[in-house]
Amino acid sequence: MKPFTFSRPADIKSAQQLYKKNEASQFIAGGTNLLDLMKKEITMPANLVDINSLSLKEITTGDAGIFIGSLALNSVVAAHPDIIKNYPLVAKALLAGASAQIRNMATIGGNILQRTRCPYFYDVALPCNKRKPGAGCGALEGFNRTSAIFGASENCVAVHPSDLCIALAALDAKVFVQTDGKESIIPFKDFHRLPGNTPDKDNNLIKGSLVTKIYIPKNNFNIHSHYLKIRDRSSYAFALVSVAAGLHIERGVIRSAVIAAGGVAHKPWRLYETEKFLTGKTASAEIFKKAAVIAIKDARPLEYNKFKTTMLEKGLQLALKNAMA
Amino acid sequence: MGLFDNLYSPPPDDRVDGKQKVTGSAKYTAEFQIENLAYGVMVGSTIAKGSIALINVKEAKNAPGVLEVITHENTVIVENLKDEKKAKNLRLGLRIFHTNEIFSNGQPIALVLADHLEQAQYAASLVKVTYTKAAHNTDFDTTVNKEKTKKFTEDNIRGDVNAWKDAPVKIEAEYTIPVEVHSPMEMHATIAIWESNDKLTVYDKNHSVKDIQQTIASAFDLEKGNVSVRAEFVGGGFGSGLRVWPHTIAAIIAAKKINRPVKVTLTRPQMFTMVGYRPQSWQKISIGAAVDGKITGVVHEAISNTSVYENFTEGITGMSRILYDFKNLDTKYKTIALNKGTPIWMRAPGEATGAFALESAMDELAYKLKIDPLQLRLKNYAEKAIDANLPWSSNFLKECYESASKKFGWEKRKQEPMSTRNGDWWVGYGMGVGTWSAWREGATARGKLDNKGNLLLQSATSDMGPGTATAMVAIANTVLGIPREKIKFELGNSAFPDAPGQGGSVTTASVGAAVNDVCEEIKKKLFDFAVETAIDFKMAKYEDVIFKDENILVKNNPAILISYTQLMLNKNVFEIDLTKSSASGEESKKYSFNSFAVHFAEVHVHAYTGVVRVKRFVSSVDAGKIVSEKTATSQIKGAVVWGIGMALMEDQHVDNRYGRLIANDFAGYHIPVNGDVPEIEVLFINKPDPYINPMGSKGLGEVGLIGSAAAIVNAIFNATGKRIRQLPVTPDKLI
Amino acid sequence: MIKSEEQEILPGSSRRDFLKKSIALSAIAVIPAAIETSAKTRSDEKFAYQFEQLPLRLEINGKMHNLKVDPRLTLLDLLREELHLTGTKKGCDHGQCGACTVHVNGNRINSCLTFAVMQSGNKITTIEGLANGEELHPMQKAFIKHDGFQCGYCTPGQIMSAVACVNEGHTQNDEQIQEFMSGNLCRCGAYNGIVNAIKEVAK
Repeated sequence: MKPFTFSRPADIKSAQQLYKKNEASQFIAGGTNLLDLMKKEITMPANLVDINSLSLKEITTGDAGIFIGSLALNSVVAAHPDIIKNYPLVAKALLAGASAQIRNMATIGGNILQRTRCPYFYDVALPCNKRKPGAGCGALEGFNRTSAIFGASENCVAVHPSDLCIALAALDAKVFVQTDGKESIIPFKDFHRLPGNTPDKDNNLIKGSLVTKIYIPKNNFNIHSHYLKIRDRSSYAFALVSVAAGLHIERGVIRSAVIAAGGVAHKPWRLYETEKFLTGKTASAEIFKKAAVIAIKDARPLEYNKFKTTMLEKGLQLALKNAMA
Repeated sequence: MGLFDNLYSPPPDDRVDGKQKVTGSAKYTAEFQIENLAYGVMVGSTIAKGSIALINVKEAKNAPGVLEVITHENTVIVENLKDEKKAKNLRLGLRIFHTNEIFSNGQPIALVLADHLEQAQYAASLVKVTYTKAAHNTDFDTTVNKEKTKKFTEDNIRGDVNAWKDAPVKIEAEYTIPVEVHSPMEMHATIAIWESNDKLTVYDKNHSVKDIQQTIASAFDLEKGNVSVRAEFVGGGFGSGLRVWPHTIAAIIAAKKINRPVKVTLTRPQMFTMVGYRPQSWQKISIGAAVDGKITGVVHEAISNTSVYENFTEGITGMSRILYDFKNLDTKYKTIALNKGTPIWMRAPGEATGAFALESAMDELAYKLKIDPLQLRLKNYAEKAIDANLPWSSNFLKECYESASKKFGWEKRKQEPMSTRNGDWWVGYGMGVGTWSAWREGATARGKLDNKGNLLLQSATSDMGPGTATAMVAIANTVLGIPREKIKFELGNSAFPDAPGQGGSVTTASVGAAVNDVCEEIKKKLFDFAVETAIDFKMAKYEDVIFKDENILVKNNPAILISYTQLMLNKNVFEIDLTKSSASGEESKKYSFNSFAVHFAEVHVHAYTGVVRVKRFVSSVDAGKIVSEKTATSQIKGAVVWGIGMALMEDQHVDNRYGRLIANDFAGYHIPVNGDVPEIEVLFINKPDPYINPMGSKGLGEVGLIGSAAAIVNAIFNATGKRIRQLPVTPDKLI
Repeated sequence: MIKSEEQEILPGSSRRDFLKKSIALSAIAVIPAAIETSAKTRSDEKFAYQFEQLPLRLEINGKMHNLKVDPRLTLLDLLREELHLTGTKKGCDHGQCGACTVHVNGNRINSCLTFAVMQSGNKITTIEGLANGEELHPMQKAFIKHDGFQCGYCTPGQIMSAVACVNEGHTQNDEQIQEFMSGNLCRCGAYNGIVNAIKEVAK
């Protein structure tokens, strides 16, 4: 690992000033992804700003929604009574990710900023445009079993790895960001981005900005929601495909639906058209089946990930079915 | 009746080293504190074939804390590595630092040495290499497709090779297993310390201290006695610790070069390229049977990969020659050389691979015949070892079938696939069988009984996890009648008496016999003391006494007794110190020795997601007399967990364009986690083999894995009607 | 790493000057000036290295340690390589196996995924600190009784994780125990014994 300077400021202003002291600065919170990347020399900060002393751990509940501080731990959020009661999709997604130990270290802010697990990104001896723009995409014509089926470009077929983000995308969360003392709010659908010609950028966060909190609006999906994660072993593995589904049901009729898929794209993949199709319909296996067909219609799988299309089609039906249970 | 039947009940068998392991005080290789220790980090190649044109270590050398960077350009010359022929004869494998040739991706090419680990790690990233690339081949599938129709190196025919073709019912199928990697939790490490110019101490992760000692002594032209190899606690190995690997040689060279003790610990990704793996394999099985299920002919073909610098072979088709009554059989085998590191024996080498194909094929045949797979196996039971034309030393396979099927409830199985559904899950039952040649190697043990009644046993065997010392203490306790807490068994030190490496399930059968024999010698000595010094025993005959609770007793009048310590006091000796070698005799030529295991699995397959959960697993094992039931049970359970891994997830990918492994870490190479493993029920027939050794114990480390993956895959077929012949069965293959 | 018994390790005068001139930092903020300059200008790192050791004060198994460490040092490497507390194991160094599990302020974490300097002021408990002298922790006893290990290498991590699993209350049924213990790999496959040990202690 490359040597770096280290500091632990007490407030956001200091943190951002310290960050600016070096071109190659990096904030560190839980560190569960960053240490990994630093050990592999994928990320090589020369200046590390530890933000764990910042007062960003708070979870505030309100009538309109919930604010989750970016430094709140994954395990704390997953166990928060209001999250469990009103935003169960978030708790379920969090508990489907990583391990108990990692959830005790990883923060919410870090979770949404975690980088892809594409094996080509993770091996500096292999080409990867995300790691090294212009180097080429190793996965495109290589081992692309875990790659994207939606929204990929010829420059990058990596997928976003977070479970939490799939739930946050479904629930139309908002990301609160501080840049030079100014606060801005980014809707979750606009937070992460597709690779296009600049796969090195995972999201639309301006360099040096700090995610301060996540806001999730109160919703009607707490009764009927499900997070489905399909993976190669029972736990402690990234999703092949995941589905976050929330249904607002009144007398058997779907008043509204939110659905996002994970493991399929460079960002959490909202299935707006599917949601629209479901709205106003009576929930049934037949309707779910039709909805699933709509969900996969834009899928563009690669050589080794064709199964993901079917997996999403069937997984979506299962997630909807389980949400109804 | 075996030795263990006529004595008191077996002792409780908590591990004798359990306390050290649960408190963290057990010291594994990388954990020894050595003064003035330097840290070494290996650098691997990033091409699969070619040569190093230029290696620039300047930046690395200038990094803080760096002591030296060793490459082929500045190594201490080791004559036996410099000379290709000598290196080959001594089986040194890769000639690390003595060639600029690259044979595989990730091949170790440099060692960076620094005062601190983090310094060495950073500097390792600064080593810049320019290669002259050559066209590599890592593509197993394409190469097999070219090779499978050509001549095989081994072609062993028994009876009529074409018999299967004329049978009324036939199946013909190909099976593949990807590269699997041992992945012990402790990463391989070596600490090399030159005590003087010609004297070396090596703390090394291995489970074969004597072989490692011999190889290192030969490689560096040292007296064997001047090389001390230590490996007391070994954090798993499963075969990866059976030879000297390049990083060990590198550490020894480095310690010489910088004149300081050097510790080299591999990284987890390096564990995938530098210390072997189970070779990738292709198999084809052709079976013909009569309508009643009697098999009339079998052809079993297998190809596995090796490296381009060593030929590693394993007995993949071996089980087909032993397990069933195949009168007409042809087994064919060969290797193909690829630009990968050399494979190494990995738990149940050969047989685990072969059993997946054979036991899948048996299952396929049973469905085609519409016969219960268990009945098909009974129908083809081998009454003797056909190849060797010898009777079994013992064979309780039929008892295994019966006990396991009963415990499992096999009679509830439905022959028709997709017959049982539980909610969203398809339910299926499957079975698989395994056998493993049980043999006994020569071994020596030292026994030292002191005048306080403490028994110290020593042998240069190993314990990579099965509980060697626990078993040995159990044997000594049983034979000598000394309580467990007064017996200590030391291992993992090349200075101790000879013992085989821990591989092939031989440890208890071989070292246990030596422990038994040295304890018997001690008994004789004590008896002599009794005759000489104790009036009550003056006229006693050896067969009239028993040894129990640290006393010699007269069998017919147990009130007459004398303690071991009293006898030593009488005789005025401080200790009895004996060393005894033990080996098999003529009986080894008269019988065929085999352990057997029968596995039954219940799996649930999710109808929507293709996810498989193993819900129940029962294994019944004939491994002769069980010396230590608790640790033996754990060993079988562990092997079944390996079966789950093999069947459902283990798969080391390679990108053939770069000839480089993909996702070579625990996030990419999945081994089972806690949630993947159901409660596994283990049954032991527990009947002594009358010939193998005094305990009647046959090996059991491997046999639990053999056939267990097939049981799962067969159960998946029963659940879903999908026959998967390409391991592992990940959800994408079932969706 | 430099070990020290001093209660306070204050940065040298040059650093103090730097801090004075610098923006308002909290008391624990530390920027070694030399390396900062060096990092900017990419000057000789050997020079920088002498300055890059940072003070660190933390409690391990009830004992306070005042240290100076390379910021690159992970908590795991601090324990194993510098303090010789080798009970905590390195199985992957990337948070993929759980062998390095320790408790920080009572919560289980992977010590390979955190820098030692980030643990300033925290209370660390490792496997060496679990037993009460010679008296084993109930979980340690249960692991021996149920043979929850073979080679023993993942065992300290399993036990630290198991103790936390019980404290967290994630022991409602086998399935929950298994899920919450799935962050600890065991290649020997001792999972049955591990679950049974936890069930016994959770009772």
